[in-house]
Amino acid sequence: MKSLLRNLLHRQREERELDKEVRAHELLLADENIRAGMNPEQARRQARLELGGVEQVKEQVREIRAGHLLEMLGCDVHYAARMMRRSPAFATTAVLTLALGIGANTAVFSVVNAVLLRPLPYPDSDRLVQMWSTNPKANRWGMWTAYPRFEDWRRENTVFEEMATARTWLISIKGGDHPESLFGVITSSQIFQLLRVQPMLGRGFLPEEDQPGHDHVIILSYGLWQRRFGSDRDVIGRTVDVDQQSYTVIGVMPSDFRFPPELPASYRVDAWLPPAPDPSRNERVSNNYYTFARLKPGVTLAQAQAEMDAIHDGLAEKHPEDRELGVKVVGWRRQVGSEVRPALLILVGAISLVLLIACANVANLLLARGAMRQREAALRQALGAGRARLIRQFLTESLLLAVFGGAVGLLLAYQGVDLFIRLAPDIPRLNETTIDPHVLIFSVVLTLGTALIFGIAPALHGSSTDLQDSLKESGSRLTIGSTRAGARSVLVVAEMALALMLLAGAGLLVRSFMRVQQIDLGFNPRNLLTAFVMLPPSKYPEPRRQALFFHEVMDRIASLPGVECAGGADSAPMLTNDTGPVSIEGHPMEPEIQAERPKITPDYFRAMGIRLLRGRTFTWADSEGSLPVAIVNESAARQYWPDEDAMGKRVKLEDGSAPVWRQVIGIVGDVRQDSAVALARPEVYAPLLQVPVPYLALAVRTRAGPTALTVAVRQAVMAVDKDQPLSGIKTMEQVVEDSVAGRRFQMSLLAVFATIALGLAAIGIYGLMSYTVNQRTHEIGIRMALGAKRREILHLVMRHGMMLAIVGVALGTVGALLLTRSLSSMLYGVGANDPTTLLSVATLLIGVAALASYIPARRAMRVDPMVALRYE
Amino acid sequence: MMILKALALGELHGLGVSRRIEQITKGTFQVKPGSLFPALHRMEEEGWLESHWGESENNRRAKYYKLTGAGRRQLEAETKRWGRIALAITRTLEAS
Repeated sequence: MKSLLRNLLHRQREERELDKEVRAHELLLADENIRAGMNPEQARRQARLELGGVEQVKEQVREIRAGHLLEMLGCDVHYAARMMRRSPAFATTAVLTLALGIGANTAVFSVVNAVLLRPLPYPDSDRLVQMWSTNPKANRWGMWTAYPRFEDWRRENTVFEEMATARTWLISIKGGDHPESLFGVITSSQIFQLLRVQPMLGRGFLPEEDQPGHDHVIILSYGLWQRRFGSDRDVIGRTVDVDQQSYTVIGVMPSDFRFPPELPASYRVDAWLPPAPDPSRNERVSNNYYTFARLKPGVTLAQAQAEMDAIHDGLAEKHPEDRELGVKVVGWRRQVGSEVRPALLILVGAISLVLLIACANVANLLLARGAMRQREAALRQALGAGRARLIRQFLTESLLLAVFGGAVGLLLAYQGVDLFIRLAPDIPRLNETTIDPHVLIFSVVLTLGTALIFGIAPALHGSSTDLQDSLKESGSRLTIGSTRAGARSVLVVAEMALALMLLAGAGLLVRSFMRVQQIDLGFNPRNLLTAFVMLPPSKYPEPRRQALFFHEVMDRIASLPGVECAGGADSAPMLTNDTGPVSIEGHPMEPEIQAERPKITPDYFRAMGIRLLRGRTFTWADSEGSLPVAIVNESAARQYWPDEDAMGKRVKLEDGSAPVWRQVIGIVGDVRQDSAVALARPEVYAPLLQVPVPYLALAVRTRAGPTALTVAVRQAVMAVDKDQPLSGIKTMEQVVEDSVAGRRFQMSLLAVFATIALGLAAIGIYGLMSYTVNQRTHEIGIRMALGAKRREILHLVMRHGMMLAIVGVALGTVGALLLTRSLSSMLYGVGANDPTTLLSVATLLIGVAALASYIPARRAMRVDPMVALRYE
Repeated sequence: MMILKALALGELHGLGVSRRIEQITKGTFQVKPGSLFPALHRMEEEGWLESHWGESENNRRAKYYKLTGAGRRQLEAETKRWGRIALAITRTLEAS
């Protein structure tokens, strides 16, 4: 340790001592030789030979010194920094290329980290699980279950510390200039104990508040508390008007509390309320809660699953509703973000390819420099630097480049993450994305790995110089230094191949997106305004009043200036669902005949632009007293009555409404109910006046820009009931756009990556060709002097570039054929190995490569033989 | 070990060490400067040797090395260890 300090602190003195010592040795040797009878000249020469070089001996001594490595590192970093200062253009290019690669990777990783890797934002969240209700027979897996079933699970299990259940719910709250529609979560009382999160003010729910009569309590979100209650700490105990009933505020949650974690990032939950099941209804058939639990310490997922299976066997005996069902226990964190996992992983793969190309490019730059620095390396070797020492120095230079690149990259990542979040579709936990210690560690490891990847080949090449050849000035100009050029060609081919794979992926996504844009949705989203109205059951307990309310609202909206017509449905494409069983007269009762069952106002089809194919649409006359009627879509007509005419046949909705047979009076075109790419499903429409519902999605067809009518539509609703809010106001075009936002984002990002890859590959091939032309100036001069035509020179260089491009494209095509398969879940209307796409990206890449080699080739063509030859 | 042994008999400069070793081993081992000096410096850092500048026989300044207490103990330890190894090797060779 002492000598370490001494070596580091008194290096100069140590160096002087060492020099004196070795020189003294040399003199002593010479003395000996003189005594042996040589003349002084001879003696000194002999002594120097025996010593084997003062500098080499000194270097060997230095290498065993304590702190040698540290000192050498300092030295290397110093050299490296000097190298970078001396060639700023090279250093800037390399650092920026690396920064782009590392920055983009860091940004993508930080999103993956937040969405897929980080534990849920609750204490000890790795013990949290979700309970799924399954129907193995119908091959249905989903997280929804019924409230009474949750109560049974909770009562009978011994493996969970706590179990709770929740569902989302729109509530309206009174006060202010207009009534506000809030996003609420109905949850059983155990939620906060289970999540181990406490309200910031007040208390959580009490067990008895799950029961009717005690359930008029509400816990506010931090945001709602700030916005609506002015951050008043005395809000606890105050009553608020929720769905036109009075509720007592019992708590306020902290600002960072998010529940449920599955909600897309932009959703803000405003309040939490207790469930209070209605004992008069059979809640066991309405699967609308999702259930989660905390495992007891030491209990595994498999044990929990085994016990839940046993409990379910017991339940199936008691409750006929449960007979077909099962239960599945799944880890909660894996579940959040599971939908975006494949898309994110593809992004990670794509961005890694970009980094690899960036590495290849920098390695190429370094190799080119290595050629120029051959003499420097040889000189160092002559002065006693070993090969390991040279490799270390070259690697230090790479490392320094990478560290600068990493640092700039991290800055880019900070910006990139913001941009990513702004442009990305709404995915769960996206807003939790930060550059946290995990991300930092990732980018440091990435930086070091990058330095090794792009630095190793140049270091090996740079250090393996032949002393004799390199020190001699002449002779090196005729040949290209074949191994070095070989290594560089391999790198350029690799870049081409990687770029082709990325281009192929991006091309497939672009083509898919174009196909998706061309899909006939079955309705016309242009000039269509949509919004939700949810009537509070307390104020509109009677179904008939609900229907009358909507009738009046529709009339008022339809008479607004600028409105063509207006309709409403409780299940509208890309907005809401009411999927459930229906019965078909004359068919055996099959529980799994599932259909979409929209209850609609008469003008709904006209407002949406859904085509009426046969029969008639509903009118306001199709009401309580008249003949029960239904309209089916093409899919339903084809599936339910394959060889018959659907018109006049009878169907029944199995949704708890009056069990009557409804006569089919019309057939309409299919719509894409779930998303643009999901196939149309059977739909059975019923008139709202015959089957009233408290909840409608409004569809208002306007003559011009629909957003201008937002206020007028809101006022029309409030004119019927001044306390009734309107929520989720959007144009239908926006809704459709949102439904493909993920696809568009994925496509854009991959296209950007592929463009970067294409640019880097072009720079790579351009760099190599320029270098080759420079190296061969002399040779080209001779060729021209011997009568080669300019065109032939052009061909000579171009042929070289094209060879590399074609080999790269060929290899890349093989790679693309293997890799694009992983994209297949994201494609629409094109195969993963779509030949058109592959052919066009290959053509594009070869074209760009041709352009990139044409510029140096033209320079070669203009070589003046006289100048080239005199240059020697 | 051989350097330590060479120095056990008294202080020497670098060339002296290599000449002494040649002399003791009757020319079997010749220590080149390229290995001599790193070895000397390493042992000095370990604290087995001390050095100072002195005058050589023919009035040249040279750096002289001598054993420290730690150096002597190291020599003893290494001699013993070498004895054991040499014995073991000899036995192995004789056994066949």
